[in-house]
Amino acid sequence: MPLFRVENLSYFYPDSKKPALQGINLEIGEGEFLLVTGGSGSGKSSLARAVAGLIPDFYGGKIGGRLYFKEQDIRFIDRRSLAQNIGIVFQDPEKQLVMTGVETEIAFGMENIALSQPEMLRRSAEVMSFFDLTDLKQEFTANLSGGQKQKVALASILAMQPSVLILDEPTSQLDPLAAEEILNLVKRLNEEMNITIILIEQRLERCFHLADRVAVMENGRIIKCATPEETAVWEVKNGYPFLPPVAAFFSHIEAQDIPLTIKTGRKLLHNIYRESNPYQVPAPASEQSDLNAKPRKADNKGDHSIRDCTRRKTDFTLFTIKEKYQLLFSKCRSRAGKISPETPVAQINKLWYTYPNGKEALRDIDFSITAGEFVAILGDNGSGKTTLLKQLAGLIGPGRGQITIMNNAIGNTPPQQLARLVGYLSQNPNDYLFHDTVEEELKFTQANLGQIDNGHIERLLRRLNLYPLSQVNPRDLSSGERQRVALGSVLAASPRLLLLDEPTRGLDQRMKADLNNLLQDLLQTGVAIILVTHDIEFANQGARRLVMLFDGRIACDGPRNEVLGSSMFYVPQIRRMFKGIDDEIFTLREAVARVRPLWAARLIAK
Amino acid sequence: MIDQFFYTEKGNFMQTLHPAASLTYIAVLLVLVLAFSHPLYLIGLMLSVVLAIWAAEGLKAWEGYMKLALGMAVLIMIINPLASSTGNTVLWLTPDLPGLGVLAITVESIFYGALMGLRLLIIVSIFCLYNQIIHPDRLLNLWPRFFRKSALVVSLATRLFPVMTASLHRIKEVQQLRGVDFQAGTLRQRWGKYLYMFNILLISSLEDSLEMAEAMQARAFGSGPRLRYRRDYFRPRDMLCLISCLLAAGIALYALFDGLGTYSFYSGWGDMPGGSSNLPIMAAILGGLSLPALLSWGAQHCHYLESRI
Repeated sequence: MPLFRVENLSYFYPDSKKPALQGINLEIGEGEFLLVTGGSGSGKSSLARAVAGLIPDFYGGKIGGRLYFKEQDIRFIDRRSLAQNIGIVFQDPEKQLVMTGVETEIAFGMENIALSQPEMLRRSAEVMSFFDLTDLKQEFTANLSGGQKQKVALASILAMQPSVLILDEPTSQLDPLAAEEILNLVKRLNEEMNITIILIEQRLERCFHLADRVAVMENGRIIKCATPEETAVWEVKNGYPFLPPVAAFFSHIEAQDIPLTIKTGRKLLHNIYRESNPYQVPAPASEQSDLNAKPRKADNKGDHSIRDCTRRKTDFTLFTIKEKYQLLFSKCRSRAGKISPETPVAQINKLWYTYPNGKEALRDIDFSITAGEFVAILGDNGSGKTTLLKQLAGLIGPGRGQITIMNNAIGNTPPQQLARLVGYLSQNPNDYLFHDTVEEELKFTQANLGQIDNGHIERLLRRLNLYPLSQVNPRDLSSGERQRVALGSVLAASPRLLLLDEPTRGLDQRMKADLNNLLQDLLQTGVAIILVTHDIEFANQGARRLVMLFDGRIACDGPRNEVLGSSMFYVPQIRRMFKGIDDEIFTLREAVARVRPLWAARLIAK
Repeated sequence: MIDQFFYTEKGNFMQTLHPAASLTYIAVLLVLVLAFSHPLYLIGLMLSVVLAIWAAEGLKAWEGYMKLALGMAVLIMIINPLASSTGNTVLWLTPDLPGLGVLAITVESIFYGALMGLRLLIIVSIFCLYNQIIHPDRLLNLWPRFFRKSALVVSLATRLFPVMTASLHRIKEVQQLRGVDFQAGTLRQRWGKYLYMFNILLISSLEDSLEMAEAMQARAFGSGPRLRYRRDYFRPRDMLCLISCLLAAGIALYALFDGLGTYSFYSGWGDMPGGSSNLPIMAAILGGLSLPALLSWGAQHCHYLESRI
């Protein structure tokens, strides 16, 4: 008997003519681990909310079809018993914590289901111990890190002892280590406590292999639901990008059995390399533009000059019209032409910064970036990444040392004047949106800076695929669209230095590819880009130079291949798999181009 | 920076007191500061409060509170002599001011203004002490059953206030980097710029509140009667603190009925009411009010005492 049975489920949000869910048929067994993936707006979160009983109870709207939990129609299960049986953890931990302290937050759900005092004490002690939160029980939830907040949210749900746990992108706001910790806990809950898991996720590197089945959603429908291996093969065959790099790689080379973990992948790779000498085969070029193209000689010098920052198309490109960006950034390019590629756009000398609370956030930073250069800054939470960006944006002045942006010394130039030179995209796109239309939102920046439009805004809207939405209220858009509007409002000023703080949060694979393409276009116009991110895969795709910050200091700064080649933890999945087998491989494209001929030769030999 | 104004878990003695004991202590302090008008009593109360703040490891936060309150205290000291011309000892007569006439600045009104300023500083210090020693969630446990929903609203507001302050700061940074100069323009224009900022905060907060409501519903909030999770212990230290501050309140009440602890400013300069009989009464009151801080010091330095209370 399945735990959940979904029959022809359809759902419309209030005032929406487009169905969020349509014709969903699904069965979920007890103790199963179901991973649901798909693009933004594909209906993943709506499905999670329907299964949790929040749709239509909380949202209203029109619903069709049937949803049974333990063979009982979910509409007729009372809310208290539903909450006791089905727990749901949301994307943003900040928006699901209610109480001030950790212990009372954990008890919140138990209070609502009116458990007895001794039972509440016992359960809260147990979950705090399981989640290693005992030392934090008196702490304010506001003072916790993102990972700790998400653990508290999870613990609060688990204290209600549900048999089903639904997680809606629980790691999207977390750094890689915190994300790994949450997913390990989820895995333990599934394996050791037989809790049924429904995980909605876009960052698939760490969870694809954990699932018993993977469901892919598009336009409110489940278009594939099968084992991870079957799904991987199907996705590659049908051009869907919702795969972790390891599975994507083996699906691309058309391996019969798809390894899902680095360990199993390395075993297979060892066999492939053992049976052939890869260096007799033409090597891949790092700039090769298509996964299906024929391989050519490798060029892995790691040079991060402008010349190397050429635009690389990905499989999932939506922005392919070169003329658009030529039109759009023609003005920038003419200005960029005056700058020598060697002239630093930003220069930091011996920078130190201490916050008023005494925390030394930056120590002895020396850094410079030239026009057309793309630098990614990596590091754990609290390492000083965002502080460094804020310094470059002029939002905080240097404690000691000097920062100059195109000969303007930070500290002497107010941020609103620097805005002509520096564009800053903060982590939360909502901080930018308050006008009635998208177009007004973009024009606002230009108007403040006294810039004349000259059709720049229209070109920008078209380039960002926002032109059809130009008269829509930005708050009515999806999260990915809001991100593009925020970026547009930054680019409206035609900045020479673009600072991006975690821009891939909540973006699906296609959107990330779009963003990467846009950034590569900007590089060609001479814009320098500094990206702060935890998304190593994204940094690996776009940036040619990586900087690692640790405890406010630059731990290393160099070409991408050099930094990733020597790092142990900040490494993309493909590099991890190839490490020691073929040290020249860093990206999926390089891997496919190198191994596909070997695999084909192996098959022929067999 | 703003964090220091709010409760931070430090694990010190004062924070381990039962919220009922802490709240009684704060309430007694507050009542006494409003009841006493005698400068010596008020200075004594100030010392007791600062001692308690020191025991709660909150002196740094108190400095911040004082920086904010001192301006207001000085303002009171300036306004009172201008607003009140009562008093026998005239220092200066102002010229004939239009609509106000001739104002007499008296020593009494200056003195009274200074005392009002001191009272304000003590009240702010008590508020600081409250924030240093009482965890908001623990306080909410004391609310009677029929106020539970209001208690939750207070808890939410307490949790969200620092979050919203941080959001506002972030939004201002974003606006500055979009070319908004908050210092430029007329008052009306500047107000308009701030209005944009608050507009963004309001819209985002409304969106966030929906998500929070959803998370609360997912945890069965509003699905029926709920029970309160209690975790506070009533220890001997709580009993000692309660008794000492109630005793101090009793003695203070006796003193007030006996005409001690008050001072009449505008009836001319004279001796302190009660004269030297004030001293033992004051010592008893301040001793009682200082007991929590003394116990805290004792517990820190004597393991035996700590384990017994």
